[in-house]
Amino acid sequence: MAATRGTKPGAKSGSKPGAWPYLFLSPYLLLTGVFFLVPFVNAIVLAFYETNGPRGRVFVGLANFRFLLHDRTFHTALGNTTLFALASVFVQLPLAMGLAVLLNGGGKRTKAILRLILFSPNLVGQIFVGILFSVLFVPRYGLINKTVQALFHWGLEERWLGDPRLVMPAIILTSLWLWVGLNMIYFLAALQAVDKDLEDAARIDGASGWKLFWHVTLPSMRPVVVFVTVMSVIGSYQIFELPLALLADTNPPGFGPNNSGLTLITYLNEVAFRSGDLGLGSAVGWIVALIIFTVSLIQIRVSRIAED
Amino acid sequence: MNAPRIVLFVLAATFVALLAASVGSVARRARALRFGRTALLGLACTTVLGPFVWLAAAIFKDRTVLNEYLFFPPPPKWSHATMNLDNFRELLRGHETMHGLIHFPRYVLNSVLYATVGTTCQLVLSSLAGYALAKYRFRGKNALMLFMLGSMMIPQVLLLAPLYKMAVDLGMVDSLWGLLLPWMVSAYGIFLFRQACMAIPDELIDAGRIDGCSEFGIYFRLVMPLVRPMAAAFCLVSFLSFWNAFFAPNIFLHSQDKLTLPVVLQLYLNQYKLDYGVFLAGTALAMLPPAILFLALQKEFISGLTSGAVKG
Amino acid sequence: MFSRFPYGRAPFWIAVAALVSTVTWAATRGLQAPRPDLVLVTFTQSHYDAYRRAVPAFERAHGVTVQVEFTNWTPLRSRLQNAMLAGTEVPDLAEVFEGSLGFFTRGPVRDIGLYDLTDRLHADGLYDRLVPSRFSLWSAEGRVYALPHDVHPVMLAYRRDLVAAAGIDVATLDTWDKFVAAGQRATRDLDGDGVIDRYMLDLRADGDWGLTTLLFQRGGALFDPQGNVAFDSEIVAQTILWYLRQSEGPRKIATDAGWGQSTAKAMTDGLVLFFITPDWRSFQFEEEEPWLRGKMALMPLPAWAPGERRTSVWGGTGLMMMKASKHPELAWELAKYLYFDPASLGEHFAETNLVPVLKDAWTRPELDAPNPYYGGQRIGRMYTALAPDTPPVYSSPVDAVARAKLNEAYSRCVTKYRRDGEAGLLETIRSELSRAADDVRRMADRTRTLTEAG
Repeated sequence: MAATRGTKPGAKSGSKPGAWPYLFLSPYLLLTGVFFLVPFVNAIVLAFYETNGPRGRVFVGLANFRFLLHDRTFHTALGNTTLFALASVFVQLPLAMGLAVLLNGGGKRTKAILRLILFSPNLVGQIFVGILFSVLFVPRYGLINKTVQALFHWGLEERWLGDPRLVMPAIILTSLWLWVGLNMIYFLAALQAVDKDLEDAARIDGASGWKLFWHVTLPSMRPVVVFVTVMSVIGSYQIFELPLALLADTNPPGFGPNNSGLTLITYLNEVAFRSGDLGLGSAVGWIVALIIFTVSLIQIRVSRIAED
Repeated sequence: MNAPRIVLFVLAATFVALLAASVGSVARRARALRFGRTALLGLACTTVLGPFVWLAAAIFKDRTVLNEYLFFPPPPKWSHATMNLDNFRELLRGHETMHGLIHFPRYVLNSVLYATVGTTCQLVLSSLAGYALAKYRFRGKNALMLFMLGSMMIPQVLLLAPLYKMAVDLGMVDSLWGLLLPWMVSAYGIFLFRQACMAIPDELIDAGRIDGCSEFGIYFRLVMPLVRPMAAAFCLVSFLSFWNAFFAPNIFLHSQDKLTLPVVLQLYLNQYKLDYGVFLAGTALAMLPPAILFLALQKEFISGLTSGAVKG
Repeated sequence: MFSRFPYGRAPFWIAVAALVSTVTWAATRGLQAPRPDLVLVTFTQSHYDAYRRAVPAFERAHGVTVQVEFTNWTPLRSRLQNAMLAGTEVPDLAEVFEGSLGFFTRGPVRDIGLYDLTDRLHADGLYDRLVPSRFSLWSAEGRVYALPHDVHPVMLAYRRDLVAAAGIDVATLDTWDKFVAAGQRATRDLDGDGVIDRYMLDLRADGDWGLTTLLFQRGGALFDPQGNVAFDSEIVAQTILWYLRQSEGPRKIATDAGWGQSTAKAMTDGLVLFFITPDWRSFQFEEEEPWLRGKMALMPLPAWAPGERRTSVWGGTGLMMMKASKHPELAWELAKYLYFDPASLGEHFAETNLVPVLKDAWTRPELDAPNPYYGGQRIGRMYTALAPDTPPVYSSPVDAVARAKLNEAYSRCVTKYRRDGEAGLLETIRSELSRAADDVRRMADRTRTLTEAG
């Protein structure tokens, strides 16, 4: 409401803003021109070069992309990252939604306190979380192994970060701890914005519990659900620091035993900044960007179709 | 049976019992569900807080008993041999590098400098641009908006390789200031401030003009105080992104005396492989500033964070 | 007062912190100690301790200041390489781990940030006094870019008492065939619970050093002398076949005893009798399992065929000199002082069991001393007798990739062997090796384009 009033500024007063808006925008224009536009164009150029760190470079045409097409390590990275993205959408988000629904029913004070607690891991950077969990996953003595053992009589000696089959689950578990609270907050805000009259009307029609949630509440939260899903996928395809810190003592760092924890950006970091080929790194960057773009587009499309 | 299992069992059993007793009574059924909800939320909170409590215990335990007790040792066993500040002492011990003896506070200073200067710059520059986009009419505005929103879609990692090359070419590499410069303004921040400024009535601004305020004065004295909640929310987002940044600092900074906390602690992860109380102590210290800021700002933060998503 | 700050309270305090930290930063900038004349970086604790002891004498003799820095290897490597290419501050001298030289010599020769030491080595008459096979690890295109620190000849360490009790005469174990035959008798379930609790040999489950050490002994290689990928050879395939049978087969003689604490336990309990042991590991055993003093012994590796090589090589450290150094002559002097001073090399051996790469030093009395841990064996003699025979290991920019890919190939072969046994095994090994080698070649080709373009 207020926003619509503000769309025609300066018009009524008739004063000429002159150079002021440009002046206010000049730092942004300057910085973004130098540090966004130029690198952006360079990222296109670099993808067709092979480089020796920031020093020498040689034009190789499409060879970078052809190399990636045939590199099995890159395929592993793509597979692991996709698995992580799927887990984020199909494990993390339902869990966050569940917590939001549980929390939504509570009193105002408890809600505020619990929201604070559940959100708190998000204050901690991925690197710090990775460091903390690399110790929590220690076999025999670690908090996680001991807890799992106490609950399920299994897992005390499991080497979460040393066993190729358990590395991705370990990364996913850590990410759950880290990000469930964030997504929960989005869902909670959306739940609170759901039209109460609509729900009441449905209740009078005899809908209740699960049905009410599925047919009335969830559809009216659609914009937020789409937003959170798209953001999760975008974030998941860029996961890097968490596995890097969790798997710091594998060689190369972050790859995990038998590349079991290798993600796309860890691969990018390895080729571009630890092996010095910024060109190949840019090619990987473009592939990641393309994946993110395509997946987000598909998700938004699908949700539109579902709406109609 | 052990403690965690007993707790789980008791909770589940109580829930089932309440549910069974509630047949036919809506009120009792609601009570059973309320119990179930409380129990589940309690478990979720325990899971979230567990690692923090573990960390708080680990950093004060002596290295010899680190694995002996899962959390704190039982009070009768408290003594200098089990609980002490050795981890912090080792953490604060200077390390010899080619830039001389470097102590941990140096990294803290680097991190504080990087995060606070970065946040302040982002806050001022983004709010300036956001205000201009919200309250002025000028040529190229729509194109600029489109460009800005488009630029937010590009993943940062794509730009790191060319940015690094550029930093080397311009001599900006291995310097905190060179690392700050590319990230001094945030498109996301501009977007947030534009949304916030749009809500301010034009009459107010015009009144300011009539009172003889300069254009900058209107922004600084009139508009900014009105969008303080957004400023607070953005402040926290921005601070967290700088404080926790790892990827770019890890590439751009080469000298030991310029490293920030995430980079250094990641190094320590290898260095103190057998003595991990030390890097855990550092990690715990690094968690404090964001926590303090969050506690101070949490109200604005949560409304600011969700406003874009829920409304948009 | 912050109520008048237009952005609000928190931004005010953040701005204050920004101001204070900037002022502190500016004020402490000048306080930094001036850079010493020479800076040396090492990633090995024992080297760090030794150099710190040795450096004061050098400082006095030359009237300079020398700083020794101890850093962790993994982050050191990339930061150093980045700094060299970006032209930011680097140490004068840096020790590096085996297989990483290629990483620093990537690209055209003029862009290499290291001094080519070949001519200096010849001019100072050092070239012929060192073990020749050790230059290969530190050479690129035939030029030497780092000084070899060590030789690392490999033997087998074993529990003297348990081996004798098992009725094994180590003198007869001069070929791997005889070793395996003896091993098949010795490997068994001692307490009858159906689980094998005595193995002949410790071999890593995922290949890695176990595999490379054995294939180097046999004349196999990751790279040929020109630096081309060479591990898709029949020798490597046969070694993998042997390795699989010994560690996974129905008549296996080997298990993975792990590292550190688990090795200590395996050794103490007698879970494993023989351990592949280069000089540095022989010292590690002394440090980590002191209670086995007198119960241990060393013997040369069994040969792959009668009369063939009875040692191999595992590991290596080199010292690089940076072109960015302001005092290259002084750095060279320090390098020679730390690496090639016969008297201190003798002491170094007594402290670490490390066989010096400088052949002159082999006559030092310390290398002739009986070692009580190994039951009085003159292990210095034993290792130096094998040292000239250590196989050369050639380096390549894609060394790390090659090792990783070889491990991957091996783990695929393990899966196949566990599933199908011997059927079609050798074919699988060959095809996995050739696929892995092609992967590495693709990577190497890229590096070559870069070098040739320069």
